[in-house]
Amino acid sequence: MASVDILRTLGNKYSAEILDATDEPQSAQDLSDELDIPIATCYRRIDELTEHDLLELHDNILSDDRRRIKVYRRNVEEIRVDFEETLEVSIEERSEVTNKLDQAWRTLSEG
Amino acid sequence: MTELTRTGVEGLDDILNGGIVKNSTTLVSGNPGAGKSILCLQYLYNGVEQFDEKGIYLSFEENEDDLREAAESIGFDNWADHVENGDIKVYDKRKLLRENDFSSSLEILLDDFEDEQYDRLVLDSLTMFELFFDDEREKRTYLLKFTDILKENELTSLMTNEQGAVFPDTDIGLENYLTDGNIYLIQTPTDSGVNRYVWVAKMRKQNIETDIFPMEIAEGGLRIHQNASAFSMMSEDDAPI
Repeated sequence: MASVDILRTLGNKYSAEILDATDEPQSAQDLSDELDIPIATCYRRIDELTEHDLLELHDNILSDDRRRIKVYRRNVEEIRVDFEETLEVSIEERSEVTNKLDQAWRTLSEG
Repeated sequence: MTELTRTGVEGLDDILNGGIVKNSTTLVSGNPGAGKSILCLQYLYNGVEQFDEKGIYLSFEENEDDLREAAESIGFDNWADHVENGDIKVYDKRKLLRENDFSSSLEILLDDFEDEQYDRLVLDSLTMFELFFDDEREKRTYLLKFTDILKENELTSLMTNEQGAVFPDTDIGLENYLTDGNIYLIQTPTDSGVNRYVWVAKMRKQNIETDIFPMEIAEGGLRIHQNASAFSMMSEDDAPI
């Protein structure tokens, strides 16, 4: 059952913190440093969250030492759990308008 | 030396010490009927007629016909021609909100911005634009990003804002801090009609006249009178700002 799966993923240690921190794109290393998460766990959580579309691979940016680094950004604004009839988890995704502005703004700095 | 974009509005460029700073964003605030949209129409119309600069008009408030009628009512007889030629590109509320989907219009807009053939932009109104964002923080972030995008694409912009001049007890909107310039259009009722004033409260990088000047709306649009003493101004205590 998809809803329960999402809740389980969210309930894993650090998942909520990762979503909270990825308002702006962050790399696994950033998240690991900032939230004090062991790096292997950090990668695992990122995979789980990405699998459920809660987090998305946002870009491959070039680091100072010219390596490609994956950065992730959360894909959701709000998750609501409704127990009233059947268990229902509704996910409010980030708005398209903000996504497009983010994208346009990012290309400015690259341009 | 700061490059300036002239509004071509009689009296306003003098108050601004030459014009609006090029590639900046200026907020035009005022109550409904204060003349915000007229100033915006005039800014784009003069751009084409006097300075050979093309403009984009984004309106969440009106449709294309209303805008044309408003322009023609103050004597901008060539408005429709300029729109037809593409010297003034109008995105009216029907276009912007087509299928209730601003995000696809935004994509077209962003392409136009990059096109580099436009120099002036009007957003009427910022109040409506902000409805696409959920909270204060998001509004702030995306207004900054949006103005950045306009600046980088070398557009000098006016944005209208439904807000009267600031009374002592009211909060000043965040927008006033985030834009480069602030122009207030003020109207006060009188026995015989309405007195109108303009106040340029802020213009980054520019040495401006910060007094309040009387203005009128007539054929040809806004006209600002430099000689404030010729008009009966309110006493200091009653000043709305």
